[in-house]
Amino acid sequence: MSEGEFAPPPTPNIESYGPNAVYNRERCYQLAQGFFKDAVRRARERHERQKELKLRLESPELLSRRELIWSHSGKLEAKYLRFLRTKEELSNYAIVKTIGKGYFGEVKLVRKRQDGRVYALKRLFKSEMISKEQLPRVRAERDALAESDSEWVVKLFTTFQDNVSLYMLMEFLPGGDLMSVLIKYQIFSEDITRFYTAEIIMAIEAIHNLGYIHRDIKPDNILLDRGGHIKLADFGLSKGFRKDHEKSYYQELLQRPVPPSSRPQNNRHSVNIDEISLTVSNRAQINEWRRSRRLMAYSSVGTPDYIAPELFSTNGYSFEIDWWSLGTIIYECLVGWPPFAAETFYDTYRKIINWPHTLLFPDDIQLSYNAVHLIRSMINAPDARLGRNGAAEIKNHPFFAGVDFSSLRRIRAPFEPPLTSDVDTSAFPVDDLPQEGDGEEEGGPAPGGGGDASGGGLLLGAEDPEMFLPFLGYTFKRFEKSYTA
Amino acid sequence: MSNLFSGINARLRGTANKPVPAKSPISSTPLTDDGQLALPSSLSQASQSSTSLSIASKLPPLPASPSLSQTIGMMGSPEEALNAYPLPRPLPVWLNPAYARHIVKGNFMTLSARPKTVEQGEWVAHQVVEHYRNLWNFVRVVFEKEEDGKTICNATSCPRMSAGMNHSYTWLNNRFEPIELPAFEYITLMQRWISGKIDDTKIFPTEASGVSFSYNSQITTTALLTGPDEWVGKRSGFPKDFFSICQTIFLQMFRVYAHLYWAHFTEPFYHLNLEKQLNSCFSHFVLTATALDLLKPQELEPMQPLIDLWAANGTFPPESKAYEYANLKAGARLLQLGGMA
Ligand SMILES: Nc1ncnc2c1ncn2[C@@H]1O[C@H](COP(=O)(O)OP(=O)(O)O)[C@@H](O)[C@H]1O
Ligand SMILES: [Mg+2]
Ligand SMILES: [Zn+2]
Repeated sequence: MSEGEFAPPPTPNIESYGPNAVYNRERCYQLAQGFFKDAVRRARERHERQKELKLRLESPELLSRRELIWSHSGKLEAKYLRFLRTKEELSNYAIVKTIGKGYFGEVKLVRKRQDGRVYALKRLFKSEMISKEQLPRVRAERDALAESDSEWVVKLFTTFQDNVSLYMLMEFLPGGDLMSVLIKYQIFSEDITRFYTAEIIMAIEAIHNLGYIHRDIKPDNILLDRGGHIKLADFGLSKGFRKDHEKSYYQELLQRPVPPSSRPQNNRHSVNIDEISLTVSNRAQINEWRRSRRLMAYSSVGTPDYIAPELFSTNGYSFEIDWWSLGTIIYECLVGWPPFAAETFYDTYRKIINWPHTLLFPDDIQLSYNAVHLIRSMINAPDARLGRNGAAEIKNHPFFAGVDFSSLRRIRAPFEPPLTSDVDTSAFPVDDLPQEGDGEEEGGPAPGGGGDASGGGLLLGAEDPEMFLPFLGYTFKRFEKSYTA
Repeated sequence: MSNLFSGINARLRGTANKPVPAKSPISSTPLTDDGQLALPSSLSQASQSSTSLSIASKLPPLPASPSLSQTIGMMGSPEEALNAYPLPRPLPVWLNPAYARHIVKGNFMTLSARPKTVEQGEWVAHQVVEHYRNLWNFVRVVFEKEEDGKTICNATSCPRMSAGMNHSYTWLNNRFEPIELPAFEYITLMQRWISGKIDDTKIFPTEASGVSFSYNSQITTTALLTGPDEWVGKRSGFPKDFFSICQTIFLQMFRVYAHLYWAHFTEPFYHLNLEKQLNSCFSHFVLTATALDLLKPQELEPMQPLIDLWAANGTFPPESKAYEYANLKAGARLLQLGGMA
């Protein structure tokens, strides 16, 4: 019997290995894990497509088109396989214009050289991500977008990277963001507000169903598609139930030293800050706030206007924080500015944590009872907040009487972007953004030159930017149904 | 491309970057003595199942001869079945069912099953690239230098490209003689050869416009071409020798896996707690390779007992080729020895 025994396994001893081996171990572990997760997802999606194909092939009405359906499916799958095999890089895209900017990166309208299609390309700088400890943020956004397949969420086609940057290739939403619409119209009627609010409810519900909390619902992260319907973007702060997203971003924000300019004592006008902006006669101040809000969006601190109070405390929070944010957006649509607007981050923060006293409605704006009631039920303590039991209780609020939530996307939106071409950027603040060069041909190494690893082969060693541990597993590729043959 | 080659060359030899002619090792003379270019010989030197040495990519498809395991499997007890393998005693850790587990549950076959509409060559190309990327995750662990400049797999730890007592793989030198190389050098040369193929868009085309689909006599009316002028991948723009190149790539990748199991399973993979990851990637590899006829039963030899074990413990489903190639008796014996039968 002794001949059949196995060699006794040694006690695993990772300490006997050097730091590089330990680092490589982590990479290998994550890549293998990531490969199977991705492969299983792809197999499942493939299976769904094959089921759908089978149904179509069996359908009597489509009998005459069976050959076409078959060959189209084969080619589509093959294109996806080639896409998986090849390496994406910046030089595959011609840059048309910069259309958006955040603190960590920028969003550009690009055209894919190979097929002429138009996309939005978000770029994040790796060095910034590391030095500012934004890695969980990068990961969260990639995961949330990659995992969702909802019509309410901006579609992510692929992510790739080079030595300097991470890239997210998304569908281009030509209608701009809700912030631009608000800047343009200043105030919405209750009907228009009802439409956008109803759509945002559907969107938030969709991501909550995926297990994600957005945490950064605000007008500049709500985008409009070509029909004027909304989609959520910017999942950089979203929180899924994954370990690598854990990080109390706002907690950190508050622990940073307050910049001198935002210290209350430096701000003599802040004494009565709670009362500012409460009347329409304060238009000048409001307009000032509006002008600065774009700039706020570009700054590191961002705007705290839409953040729920529990995010500032250490007691934890859950899905209902997104409903608070929506409450503040409804207020803004109807009133013209968000309820806790103030001159500085710190003053807004103070107003938010004092919300029972600071949530006030201006006398000179007529709001319906239902609208005010809805806002007050959403800008509310977490355990009493409308939405804490799910989106249904918000949909049932009398403010939405008569709204058919399931058919929202099929009705005409109040503002349809008037587009003149597939690269029409009139809905974007392009003039306020730095534009490098004159459109075409910016950035990226020339095709074939200076690229990293090419094709499916991998470089031996650490030179491949994809193999850098913090960004491992970032690269993602979605099956694109709308590929033209 | 030349960057890639010369980079490796420099690392390997400590010489300055020298571009390497991207010639096919099949037609050109392999030069191993200066580390420039060589090709793997297709058969292991000490393998019992064959004596001939020839160039893998030139090999005509071998007739499906029953493997050693199958022959043995016809007769004898589970104990005899296992004892027929030239295995060291005590048995290697990786044959212990307790360490042959995975990070994935369920049927691996769904991962490698070709969608019906996809042309075979396209699917094979996809699998080659995926498995190559997976394998390299593990090779990197034993190949990257530690701070003292040493790699885990080196000329001292692995003076030959071995996979157990009976297998040691050789390269052909410029006189077409098989020569032994340390595993590190063998694998490095092999990696260079494989990535040269995969990165060559004449062999692995990437243009989206060049794609095709599979024929289906029930649906597609396009003439079904068969005959000497038809080959796997032809309609999708893959060259005539595409499939045999892929077979060689899979055979070489198999040898690397075999080396990782025989020489590095405990050091470092078990110590680094990566054995389940390795098992999962390798079992997926074996299922894919056998299902797509990229590996022949007799080529599995050095890893046959593990394949038997995975067939016996349900990792390989009964409908898979890998299961068909396995000796269930030997697998059952391993389960029994591991107290799992
Ligand atoms: N897919 C897109 N289509 C059109 N515009 C977009 C798209 N994604 C982002 N933008 C624009 O770019 C801005 C910044 O993008 P966002 O993802 O919110 O980045 P950040 O994390 O820096 O805020 C958005 O407010 C929007 O105006
Ligand atoms: Mg944003
Ligand atoms: Zn070795």
